[in-house]
Amino acid sequence: MQGESVVNHMEKTASNPSDEQLVASFREGSAEAMEIIVERYGNRILRFGLKMCGHLQDAEDISQETFLSAFRYLDSFRGETRLINWLFKIASRACMRKRRKKKDEPDREISLDAWLPERPGDEGRSYQIPDPDAGPDAHLDRKEMKKVIGEAMRQLPPHYRIVLNLRDVEGFSTRETADILEISEQAVKTRLHRARLFMREKISEYFEEEAYG
Amino acid sequence: MNSECRTYFERISEFLDGELDRDLCAKIESHLQDCPECRECLESLRRTIELCRRMAEEEIDPGVLARLKRAVLEALNH
Repeated sequence: MQGESVVNHMEKTASNPSDEQLVASFREGSAEAMEIIVERYGNRILRFGLKMCGHLQDAEDISQETFLSAFRYLDSFRGETRLINWLFKIASRACMRKRRKKKDEPDREISLDAWLPERPGDEGRSYQIPDPDAGPDAHLDRKEMKKVIGEAMRQLPPHYRIVLNLRDVEGFSTRETADILEISEQAVKTRLHRARLFMREKISEYFEEEAYG
Repeated sequence: MNSECRTYFERISEFLDGELDRDLCAKIESHLQDCPECRECLESLRRTIELCRRMAEEEIDPGVLARLKRAVLEALNH
C-alpha cells in the first residue's frame, strides 16, 4: 500500500474492508470508517447491553458510551487483540458501571453443591430441558423460548451473567473472555459452569410448571 | 452419587467445551457409560448451552442501530 492512502485503498479494494483497514482509515480522519465500525458491530454491542441490563434504553446508553469511548481512544489501539474484543472490553466495563450506579442487583455467589446430580433427598431428579433440535412446535415457539431464557438470564447474578453472555451467547473463547473481563481463565470456567447450571435449573423449573400446572 | 461423580461434575462444562486433556476426557467418557445420572446431567447441560447459544440469533430493530449511529456521529462532531 506504499504511496496510497488507506482511505483510497479501502475504497478501491473493498466494499467490505477489514478491521485493520478501518482503524487505519479512521486514523486518517475518515468518518465513513466510523460509520462502518458502528454498522458492523453495533448490533452485537446493543444485544449484549440488552441482555446484561434488560432495558433497551440502558442498552443504547451502553452502546453509545462504548463507541464514543472507542473512537476517542482508537489512536491508542495497538491491535494486540481483535477490534471486536476491544469493543466488548469497553462495553463490559460500561455495563458494570451502570449496574453499580443502579445498586439494585447485588452480586452473590452460586454454590456448586446446590446443583450436584442426585444430591440427598433429590434422587432421580430429571431436568426438563427442551431439545433445541426438536423443532419450534415441539415445546413452545421460538419467541416464548427466548422469553424464558431471557428471564432466567436476568435472575443470574451479574458477574455470572456477563461470563455466560460472552462465552455462550457471543462465542468468545475462555481466554478471550478472561482478557475482556480482566480475570483469570479459571475464574471464567468456574463462573460459566455455575451460570449454566443456574440456567438449567430455571429453564427446567419453567417446563416442570408447564407440565404439571 | 459417588466421589467420582462429584469430581467429574465439576469439570463437565470444560468437557463439553473440549477444554480437557485427552486422559481426563477418556476417564469421563468411561464414567458416563456406567452412570445414568451423570449422562442425564451432561445431556441437560448440553441442551441448556445450545438454547443459550441460539439467543445470539436475536436481531435488534434496524431503527435502533440507525439511532445509535446517528447519536455517536453527532456526539463526536460536537
